[in-house]
Order: sequence, then C-alpha cells, then structure tokens
Amino acid sequence: MTAAGTLSVRVREITELAPTLKRFSFEPAHGGEFPTAPAGGHVMLTLRDGGRVMKNAYSLVSAPAQRTRYEIIVRKVAQSRGGSAFLHAKVATGDVLDMAMPSCLFSLASTAKKHLLIGGGIGITPMLSFLGELKARGGRCEMHQLSSVDEAPVFDRLLAPFGDDAEIHIHTGGRAAFDLAGLLARQPLGTHVYVCGPHALMDAVTSTALALGWPAGKVHKESFGGATGGLPFKAVLKRSGLEVEVKENETLLDAIEAAGVAASCLCRGGACGQCATAVEEGEVDHRDDFLSAEEKAAGKLIMLCVSRARGPRLVLDL
Amino acid sequence: MTVQFKPTETFRDTFTYKKSAEDILRFPFPFPEDEYMYSVNIEPHVKGGPTAAFNAAFDIDEHYVAECRERERVLKEDPKRCQVLPHMLTAEWDALELIMESLAVDYPEHFSLSKAGDVWTWVNRPLGLHQTFTFGKVETLPYGPFEYITRQVQGDFTLQDQREDMLYVDGGMVTTQADWSFEFNIGMSFMEWHGPVPLANEKGVFERALKYLLRLQCGQPVRRLNWTMTINPRLDTSPENYPVWGPDRTTVTPENVGDKVHLRVELQTLFRLPRSNAILFGIRCYLTSVNDLVKVPKWRRRLHRVLRDLHPALAEYKGMPRYRQMVVDYLAPMDDGVPTTKGIAPETDRLDG
Amino acid sequence: MSDQGIKSKPTYSKIAGDKAARYQLLLVEGAGIPSEAMAEGGDPSAFETWTVAHASALPAAPMMDEAPGAVRPFRSTQHLLSALEERLDRETMGLRLYAIGTEPFLWDAFNIASAAGLSRQEMQFAHAGPKARRIYCVHCRTMMEGVTTSIVTCKGCGAALFVRDHFSKRLAAYMGVQVDAEAPGEVPQAEELYK
Repeated sequence: MTAAGTLSVRVREITELAPTLKRFSFEPAHGGEFPTAPAGGHVMLTLRDGGRVMKNAYSLVSAPAQRTRYEIIVRKVAQSRGGSAFLHAKVATGDVLDMAMPSCLFSLASTAKKHLLIGGGIGITPMLSFLGELKARGGRCEMHQLSSVDEAPVFDRLLAPFGDDAEIHIHTGGRAAFDLAGLLARQPLGTHVYVCGPHALMDAVTSTALALGWPAGKVHKESFGGATGGLPFKAVLKRSGLEVEVKENETLLDAIEAAGVAASCLCRGGACGQCATAVEEGEVDHRDDFLSAEEKAAGKLIMLCVSRARGPRLVLDL
Repeated sequence: MTVQFKPTETFRDTFTYKKSAEDILRFPFPFPEDEYMYSVNIEPHVKGGPTAAFNAAFDIDEHYVAECRERERVLKEDPKRCQVLPHMLTAEWDALELIMESLAVDYPEHFSLSKAGDVWTWVNRPLGLHQTFTFGKVETLPYGPFEYITRQVQGDFTLQDQREDMLYVDGGMVTTQADWSFEFNIGMSFMEWHGPVPLANEKGVFERALKYLLRLQCGQPVRRLNWTMTINPRLDTSPENYPVWGPDRTTVTPENVGDKVHLRVELQTLFRLPRSNAILFGIRCYLTSVNDLVKVPKWRRRLHRVLRDLHPALAEYKGMPRYRQMVVDYLAPMDDGVPTTKGIAPETDRLDG
Repeated sequence: MSDQGIKSKPTYSKIAGDKAARYQLLLVEGAGIPSEAMAEGGDPSAFETWTVAHASALPAAPMMDEAPGAVRPFRSTQHLLSALEERLDRETMGLRLYAIGTEPFLWDAFNIASAAGLSRQEMQFAHAGPKARRIYCVHCRTMMEGVTTSIVTCKGCGAALFVRDHFSKRLAAYMGVQVDAEAPGEVPQAEELYK
C-alpha cells in the first residue's frame, strides 16, 4: 500500500541507555502533535548519509497516547554500516529527518483475557508500546524479557514504569534456562502471546506454543511487513512512447504517474482491478488479490499498483 | 459558505425533508458509468472529490441538526440500535478521538476541541453542547464514548474488530440503515454480515475487499459508494420497522413516482484506529428524490440507463420490483440518448427546471 | 427455496479431533455419541465427554476424574451448559472444545466458550439430531424454538414470518421477517422444510 505521507521530525533528545543502545526522541518539526500512533506500530526513517539513502524501520516505544513525541530505541550492531550505525554516529539533537507515517502489523488482541509479552534483547521495543497501552486500558499482562547480564539494569529501568500494572520478569540466564514450555502451558484460556526478538526466539515461542495446543491466531510475532518494493526495473509504455525507471522503493503505478501518464486506478492496493494493464513483453511478479491463479500464470495482465517485473524490463499496453 | 441547518425537517410521518440547490449538487451520485454491477470500488478517502460531499473526513450538511434529532428519536424507541461489545472499549475511545479531531479541523465554525492533558473540552455549536470530560474515563461522559460522539454525526457507524485474518462487526450505531438489522448482525464476521448479498459473493468481491481492508493502515482511510432506493425520504428503513415502511412501496404511482422514489446513497468510509487496531466503518446516508436528480442532465440520463438495465437479482435484493418499471418509464422521455462522460461529477453548477 | 444462497448459514463437519490439542473436551446433546458425527479415525476415548441423559433422577455428578476417556452425564442440556462456564474458567491454553447436537445447542456452547476466551480455531462442531430451527423475530425480538416450516407465526407480535437462511451465531438463531409487510395478507403457503 502506498504511504499516505511523510512526517518531518526533529530530534529533540538522544539518550545513551547502554554502549550500543540509544533512545531517540522526535518531535514534529513544524510544531503541533503527531497522529496517535498505533500500539505496536513502527516508523520508517529516511537517513541520508552523503549521497547514500537508507530507509530503516523501527518500532515505536512511546505509547499511543504520547502525541508530542515519538520515541525509538536503536541498537548499534558491530560492523554494521547501515542506518542504525548512522543514527548512532551522525545524528544529533536538532537534526530534522523524514519519517513515514507509522504503520502497524503487530497489534494487541482486543478479545484477549490476558496478554503474555516476550521480548528478547532489543525486541523489548514494541513491548514498551504495548505496556504503555495496556497500562492505559487496564489489561491483564505478564512480561518476560530475555537479556544479557550487562543490559539487565537497562531493561529493568525501561520496564520499571509498568511494574505496578504488569507482572514483569527479566531473565539473564540464557534461553536454555528460560522455561518457555512451562510458561506457555500454565496460561489461562484466552491468553495471547506476543514475541519480538531474534528469529530463533520468535521461532521457539511459535513452535512451543503450537506444540502445546495454542491456536496460531493467538501467537503474534513482530513484523514490519513484506517488502513493498523490490529490484528496480524498466517499464516501456508502448502507447505513450515512454520508458519509465521504477525504483526499488516505488510502485510501478507511482512511477507511471510521476512520468505524467494517468493510469486508470482506484484502490491502490491490489484489490479493485481498475489498473489491470496488458503486458506485451516481460515476466510479472504478481502481488495482487484480483487476478485468478490462472490469470497470473498466463502473465498477460499486471496490476500496476502492487505488482512488479520479475526481470529487468516490462512492455505495457499503456 | 455557511450551511443553513434546517432543524425541524422530518424523515417520517410528515416527511418535510427538502434539499437546497447546493445540497442537490453535492450529492454523491453513485454511478460512474451507465451500467452498474458490484465491484471492489474502494479508493483512498482523501479530501476533495467529484462533489462537495467528499471534502471532509466526516461530512456535515444542511440536514445535520435534523438528522441528529431523528437519531435521538430512533434511540428512544429502540436503545439497542447502539451497542458495543465489551472488548471494544478501546476502539470506542479511538473513534471518539478521530471524529472529534476531524470535525474540529474540518468545521471550526461548528465544533471545537481543547485539551489539557487527559481533560478534554468538546463544543458542538449546532447542537448546543459543551462537554468537559477525561479521555479514557467512561464515567465522565453522559453515554459510552462511541455512543456519545456518534449521536453527533450524520450516518451510521460500526466498529470492526480484527482477529484471525477476519473482521467482526462488534459495535455500532445504526439508525439510518438500508434494511439490515444491527441487533441481529452484531458479532458477525465480514463474510457472514454480507452473506445475503447476491452475485457479489460469487464474484469474489467480498474476499478481495476483506484482504484489502485487513491491510488498512492508520491515517490512510478509504471509501466507496453503495446505493439502493427508498420510498419517501425515510432514514430508518430497518428490518425491525419493515412492517411500518414496507407498505410505502405499494404507494408509488406514475403520478407521484418522481417525488416518492429516492435514490439512497451510502458514502462508506473505513478508518484504521490506532490503539485498538479496530476499523471504524462510516455509512453516511444521502437521500435525493428522482425529481431532484433529473435537474442534472448527466444524472438523469445515467439513472435511467442504470435502472433500465439493472440485473434482476440486484433489483430484487434492493426491494425494487414493485416500482422499478415505473421509475424507468418516468425517466425514459428525459433521456435524450446523448453519451455520458465517465465519473460521477454533475458537470454543472446550475440545476434545470 | 431450500437453499437461499446466504453465506451466513453455518456449515458443519464431523469431529476429527486435533492432534495438537493438550486436552480435548467433547459435549454431546444426548446420551451417546452418534457415530455419524465422528470423522473416520476419530477416537472419542481420547476426549473427556459430557453427555445429556434427559433424566432428573440422575444423581449429582460424583467427584470424578477430569481425564481423557471419562464420561460425565448431565440431567439436561441447560445443566450441561451451566457447568461448562465454570469448567472453562479453570482451564488453560491448549484446550479443544467439540460439540455434537442441534444447531441451538452448538451455538449456545459456542457463545459460552467464546466468552471464556476460546476462538473458532479451538472448536469443532458437528450437527446431529433434528434440523428444527430457533427463530428470532426481527420485529419484536421474540425467540421461537423448534420451527420446522418456511413460514411461522410469531408468538410475540403475530407477524407471519418468513424464515431466512441468515443466521446469527450470537443469538444462535435464524432471522424471521414479516412476509406480507408490503401487502398485508399476501402470505404464501408454509412448507415443512426443517425436520
């Protein structure tokens, strides 16, 4: 789905929580308030390091009710030359950055009788947003944070504000000492579990829960969503006599519109079928819900709003 | 331009509801082409569109005060037209926040919202309301948060919970509906709720729409238009009251068809809500009589062609068999056969006749 | 008219059990498990089973094992449903709930289980016994049990109701709508359809 807009944000405060952990607090660059952020939501920051542009997604740690500031916690990974290293080394208080509107694919279940939160290391971040929201609504909650011994005091301080409302445990003995099966087996009916952290932890929670008879719908894993972009390619618009370069982070429809061609479209999300366009050459990476499996296999049509080329070039009847 | 409210107009019994010329021209005419079939006609709900009805997140027009009074009356007769299941309380506050903030931004002359931390003050000038309350504290409002705010907006609303890749209609304020029972449907999944709709299920329309809506994100609302026909400008055409309004369908004659028969359009909007991850579904109802519609040349041509060629199963589902032919016969002499342009805009700023 | 093409009409399958379950509880609206309600290879001895004896002389259930294979009879359907609420309140994740019986029984059980926090993924339902319907009059909210005909007179408001296939799980009932609302008196002949 296309991003509705970009927020211009100013770095208001940077707090070093640990040698590799920094909290960044942003305020709207032009004053006022931010939109209410989704609980468990994430934002995409555009980071410009000279000519290099990086887009990194971070979970918001601030609660939805916090409208004057959005906060993220960023871990600097050794040897990383990416956005997180750039944030740690080069971004300073007062800097203004572009941030995509928050979106959310990780949310609290409204029908849950109890919320069981499991964070591993920096995976604590969406849990902080959840804890803030659960505190506001008075939801029953139990939090388990896995941590190295060194960082336990940091996580302890971050979790302290929620100690009156949630049962909080920090585990420093490694995953082997963490009795995941025991924890999951004793949860009351109607519990939902939420996990964020290393893939191994998320997989362990999922497989242990399913083996104990938890239904898949009550096991929630952090996700920033599938890639909406992909490899760049060239679209040849035969009737318009144009060639359009489609960039990594841009949809085919957006690129066509930017070139001044008005393609018929409506939902911009692969559902309505309005932007179906005949393909004359090239292979299509279909990502829509409109075309049938047979139509997709035939490869004669493409939905411009979500689908892309599987190769370097597509020729379209447009 | 300031809207002149008409607080005493009625939507039952005396039916004194009338539309000004501006109000007719802002009607969200539902047919972009000369023929109609169900489709996933969803698009981003951005401000600005083919008529002025698309200029705000929640549209307020000259019938605002009268429609709020009609809603109050329906709720007095049948309080269960507004219900929210207990797990949707967070969504109720989300909806209140979204509607209050949107109205205050879109209509500063009518509504204002000020905040001192969690203590909010809401002013609704057309209805003469001034309310200070604490956000998150139900006991500081005269009704539940969802009921409180939806008593002050035109159109019906439902709250959809999202779980296990499905949407459930777990709350609503439904007093101006086109023949569906909220009391019966509350708690249903998206597919169950739309179960009775003919043809669209077979075409896979609801499956595609559902997948799209499950991905809906905060701050990126979407909208679509739906339509049916109603005899007399009656807002409450609920199944509950079908024995009250059903006989109206037998009162249409070739003489009164233009005044009696109304095109009923729903501007449906969907907003993802932040704290709860629920979806607020707005179903804003607009009524315009055939005689008002024929004052716009493009609309009278198109309405004639759509109704003439409508699939019989749709006409049946929309309850039109008793009078459809009368409407078509009435419109036929006014359709000069000139081709129409795509889209719903009236393409005129003056009315004929 | 027997299939109105309405998608809210529930569909049922046989009870197959769920290998992933930590514990399985089966509710039967009758004294024994109808064999046609079990899927091939389904093994009821793996379930704790609750049955309905329809007999008042049944002594109060003794202290008994809550264990796979145990069978606990209840005096009536209501007797069973009231015990279910208390039982689910004590349960932990991993439970699967199965039910076999008439439509109103299945969806009454579903509503109790939903309130206790079970989702549809944690339940299985098999329809057995009479097809008679519970009807909800949309005009006056009266419920009527055991309706077998396409048209039924509402016991609350007297309207001649057409029995739609539109089903509400929350009410565990089909919708009844006045058939002659537009032209009073035009009531079609009732047909015996749901037995």
